[in-house]
Amino acid sequence: MSFESGELTGPADLTADVGQERTASDVARDIAFERDALPWLDDVYRFALSLTREESDADDVVQETFLRAYRSWHTFIPGTDCRRWLFTICRNVFLRSRERQRPTVDLEDGEQDAVAAGSVYAAAREKGYDDLFATLDLAPALRDALDELAEPFRSAVILVDVEDLSYESAAEVMGVPIGTVRSRLFRGRRLLQEKLVTVAEDLGFHTAGQGTP
Amino acid sequence: MSAPARSKLEELGLSATCAEVLHHLWDYLDEQITPSSADRLRAHIAVCPQCRSYEAYQECFLQAVAKLRQEFGAPESLRERLAERLKGQGCGCWNKVRIK
Repeated sequence: MSFESGELTGPADLTADVGQERTASDVARDIAFERDALPWLDDVYRFALSLTREESDADDVVQETFLRAYRSWHTFIPGTDCRRWLFTICRNVFLRSRERQRPTVDLEDGEQDAVAAGSVYAAAREKGYDDLFATLDLAPALRDALDELAEPFRSAVILVDVEDLSYESAAEVMGVPIGTVRSRLFRGRRLLQEKLVTVAEDLGFHTAGQGTP
Repeated sequence: MSAPARSKLEELGLSATCAEVLHHLWDYLDEQITPSSADRLRAHIAVCPQCRSYEAYQECFLQAVAKLRQEFGAPESLRERLAERLKGQGCGCWNKVRIK
């Protein structure tokens, strides 16, 4: 979180010129919004970008998310997870902006993907790529690979593995059961690993251990 | 937590616990399994070089994904636009959006 508390000014700032009469309740809302919602702007932007894959679309989704959050601030329950609430609004804004239903994905057994990931590892190991994730700066390739994932899998990976939400919180944001988060997450991880191994092959990545069993 | 049938394991040349690690390593790393199951996998991983390598591989992958969080945030242009729109809504803390 990049919103340093030391940089904040006090409530007096909340009398900033907004061209409107401000009541004590307005000021209290703004203090709470500043404290609880604004620090998550970077997080919501990352999630929005993972959904839209286009920076300009992500900008629109983020703006709409925060405007809705501000207008609906009375519905936020103090003390609950504001970031999760914002992620939920963000995803709903995105889905509505695309005028499509929430994507449905077959609820598959996550273990199939877990086992398939083991096969990806075995193949990578045979080629000497088993320390791929430890030795390469994968950030650019990971971002590309994430962009290529279908939305439900991308959301699961972003929420759980990047934003560190629990399965339960991610399920609330995505509006699906926890088991569905697990299966989408495992599918997303497996697909990412397949893509990264392919990137390593394309780059001619070699390690000292190449050829060892 | 169930383990696959024996005959299948024998085809793969894996011990029952190796197969359990293969099936449930992500559940284990995500702390989604019971403490007793986690203890059993942990004990096996500690003595099985193959499973230890696989755990290290998956941990490195998850760490690489988690690092994306530090990579980027909301651009300045977005902060400016959002600040103006919040100001238009009468939000008294609109100017704080600009503070990164």
